[in-house]
Amino acid sequence: MEAREQQLPITNSSIPSQTPTTSVNIVATGEALSWLSTLTRFHAGYFRISLSLCGQALLWKILRDPGTDAHALGPVIHIMPSAAFFVLWSLALFSLVALCLLFIIRCLFRIENIKAELSHHVGMNYLFAPWMSWLLLLESTPFLHPKTTGYLVLWWVFSVPIVVLDVKIYGQWFTEGKKLLSMAANPTSQISVIANLVGARAAAKMGWRESATCMLSLGLVHYLVLFVTLYQRFVGCDSLPAMLRPVFFLFIAAPSMASLAWDSISGTFDIASKMLFFLSLFLFASLVSRPATFRRSMRRFNVAWWAYSFPLTMLAMAATEYAQGEEGIVPNALMLVLSLLSALVTLVLVAFTFLKAGNLVPYDEPFAPSPSERTN
Amino acid sequence: MSKTTACFDGAECDSGLACQSPLATAVTSQGDPTAGKGKLCFKFVEDDTYFMNGSQVILSDDHIDIYIPMCWPIKLTVASIQGSETPRIQSQANSIKLPPPQSLVQANQCQQSNSISISLPASPSGITIGQAIKVVFGDAAGSAAIDEQLNQPSDSTISNSRAAKPGKFHSRSIPAGSSYGKAAAMGKVNGPLADQQRMPRSYSSRDKRFDSFKTWSGKLERQLSNFRGKPQEPDVEANDSDISIEAEAVPAVDRYFDALEGPELDTLKASEVSALPEDEKWPFLLRFPISAFGMCLGVSSQAILWKTLATSPSTSFLHVSLTVNFVLWCISLALMGTVSLIYSLKIIFYFETVRREYYHPVRINFFFAPWIACLFLALGVPPSVAENLHAALWYALMAPIFCLELKIYGQWMSGGQRRLSKVANPSNHLSIVGNFVGALLGANMGLKEGPIFFFAVGLAHYIVLFVTLYQRLPTNETLPRDLHPVFFLFVAAPSVACMAWAQICGDFSYGAKMAYFIALFLYVSLAVRINFFRGFRFSLAWWAYTFPMTGASIATIKYANEVTNVVTQILSVGLSGISTFTVTALLVYTIIHAFVLHDLFPNDVSIAITWKRTKLTKKLAHLRFASSDMKDIEASISGNTPQLP
Repeated sequence: MEAREQQLPITNSSIPSQTPTTSVNIVATGEALSWLSTLTRFHAGYFRISLSLCGQALLWKILRDPGTDAHALGPVIHIMPSAAFFVLWSLALFSLVALCLLFIIRCLFRIENIKAELSHHVGMNYLFAPWMSWLLLLESTPFLHPKTTGYLVLWWVFSVPIVVLDVKIYGQWFTEGKKLLSMAANPTSQISVIANLVGARAAAKMGWRESATCMLSLGLVHYLVLFVTLYQRFVGCDSLPAMLRPVFFLFIAAPSMASLAWDSISGTFDIASKMLFFLSLFLFASLVSRPATFRRSMRRFNVAWWAYSFPLTMLAMAATEYAQGEEGIVPNALMLVLSLLSALVTLVLVAFTFLKAGNLVPYDEPFAPSPSERTN
Repeated sequence: MSKTTACFDGAECDSGLACQSPLATAVTSQGDPTAGKGKLCFKFVEDDTYFMNGSQVILSDDHIDIYIPMCWPIKLTVASIQGSETPRIQSQANSIKLPPPQSLVQANQCQQSNSISISLPASPSGITIGQAIKVVFGDAAGSAAIDEQLNQPSDSTISNSRAAKPGKFHSRSIPAGSSYGKAAAMGKVNGPLADQQRMPRSYSSRDKRFDSFKTWSGKLERQLSNFRGKPQEPDVEANDSDISIEAEAVPAVDRYFDALEGPELDTLKASEVSALPEDEKWPFLLRFPISAFGMCLGVSSQAILWKTLATSPSTSFLHVSLTVNFVLWCISLALMGTVSLIYSLKIIFYFETVRREYYHPVRINFFFAPWIACLFLALGVPPSVAENLHAALWYALMAPIFCLELKIYGQWMSGGQRRLSKVANPSNHLSIVGNFVGALLGANMGLKEGPIFFFAVGLAHYIVLFVTLYQRLPTNETLPRDLHPVFFLFVAAPSVACMAWAQICGDFSYGAKMAYFIALFLYVSLAVRINFFRGFRFSLAWWAYTFPMTGASIATIKYANEVTNVVTQILSVGLSGISTFTVTALLVYTIIHAFVLHDLFPNDVSIAITWKRTKLTKKLAHLRFASSDMKDIEASISGNTPQLP
């Protein structure tokens, strides 16, 4: 198979007595091929990066929203000129496009690995991540108003895959043998829930309240089941490797996103949204007070660290909406602290990415297809 | 006299080191005296007898010293296989029982606090090669086990052990004149005791049994005694501290489930033995459980009930006076003060015991009880005492609840062994109810965001707990097959949640009504099964189960305020009557147990479980050195070949 051949590295030693130019060509080709091989190993988990950046862009957009109390954010707003926001938005767009391209290349060359990824209990959830990132980017677009046709078309383009994936994955939860919820549930399963909620919020911004409510109810009912299952922690649930402990922060993201979605559907930050926001705050406090859970994953920089940023950003967004509805010092203080925290974490992660880019490059293929899936 | 230090090495013995054969065999061999090494090979026979790390045998010309870092009473029987004479132990009988340890010591750091000396029969050459000494280690108290946390790689030959495997032994030379030697020399070894339970009745040895349960292993008490000018304890005490006795680590949660049974996990299983003597009355503070705060819960909720009865429009036809509320409130205040004082003393003097209670899967929930009782006191405060309470009181009371639930819910989510599917039991409702009671009080005080916060957290975790308990997962071991008063805690959360939601929303809305109907349904479904509540031993924790009934009554009265008709009024009067009657009956029971039967505070065995698991059956626990036994042993051994190095 063509894919097979490209995986074989070509070394000098295996080629006897070649002329110098030919050997250089072969070395160059070999290097190019191994480079290509590395490129195709960028799995869906890398979309955490685009997710975080798009989330940050949306947060900054909401912070600059006229509804926000200017007094509390006065100094912060001045630091953040619109040019900076545009730079961030462009960075988010660039990262998303690059990752999508890489993923398309991967689809072309390593289709068996994609299939293995789809059936892996962690990997399958990150297939929602590209669509979520596109939706978040759409919402934060400075030049596209929600009521335009372009926005509508793009919303449909990005939401239909989410619904299709929903049908596949949620259906698996209660029908298929190995992929039963009690066996497959892990904190990353919340990404599927969050994807529905993001879609719901985007739809509500458009004015399409029924679709928004539909996606919201899908997300909420599965969130209820998942929340209980994850808290119960059946023995089969512990299949999350220690390196992926940062995804526990997704516990924070889901209620925050639900709070935001309900807020955009109902129009005001009413008591249900407040309760979801407070639950999210409590879970944040609970995770932060257990640093030992994350110790092992913090030894070496890897792409899982990007899992910290997106939930914090969602929490900050919910705090911002809360502060917009409430007067007083505590809501504004919460908004300020959480926004700064999420911005700081994202900044640190971007810095780490540039400084330690080598750590991020995938040298191993994490989703090996099972022998039965190999085509011959 | 040459001293030889031997090492035990399971691997060096023959492959017959299986755990199934009935005896341990010791073969002594005198190696080259100049080399100073001999080898003892111990063959494990009873899979319930184990050596701990650091066991040593010192061979002398005429006696063998065996140092065993045993942490429990051990009975040693020595017999011989080859050689005609039975070696004599330096005591009258052929079996000696080592006394229970002075304090429980962690197995892998067990210092050698017990030693026996076996004098061998006088023979011209001392110990001869080939002479086999058969040493049977039996556990008289029935609590021998290997350190299950040691995780030693076992010999591949020992594949039959059911439980933890025999540990590996490594040699350590005993420097002459060490504390161990001193300990042996000082005759810490007691002579044989007819009944191993009976301890020397000296003050010092009785005291030390409880040392591991005291704060800093009893050092605090000694300090305080020094401050108060009490006479110094005898020298034996000083030697104890030479041998550093470490406080026993608190058992893991699995240990609690293995060792205890019963709906409140307060009864020792038959195969277990308590770390403290069961036939004596322990110190009072040691017997005072945290579930005593349940009394405060019960009485203070009654105060709230009578206040509601007096002030609600729907029950105004009863003409209840506020004096009842005042009296009850004062009683509950006094009770709360007393119980808190006693428990604070327990924290100061028996901190280790408090830690053990904290790690108990059922008792941990009762750590919420003091704060919930204070919240009840604030809710039931008579109007004549205080009309409006300051908001700072609310924050002060909710802060400990917040910290506790951060810890406990965090453990459910990601805390290793204490996963909810394993530890869920009805007492967990106590950790949830605190949220709703706090929300109710805060809403009464006029706070807005705080009550919503705690209501949200409580609701989310209540859903999880409710589903888990209803599932009655097979991995969940603590739910009793029969009903027990603890099941009434199911009624607590919805009834308080209903009242809290009504206060937050301002009126008795549909959400509150739905919660109320759920509470009512659970109450009725438990009440019709009243027959299943018979036959349980009274315990102080039963007081904690009365407050759900009272809560349901109060919720009914509030509902009757909203929907006033004959049915609701009858219901409110009826439920209030039932709860008052139950509390009165409990009061009578408590008084009887306290003053007539004197067993209101029985020995709290659930905190005195041993650290190690036992596999011995009762049969072995009562193994006595009897000639018939010896014959059986000899007969079974005769087929074995002695192990020679």
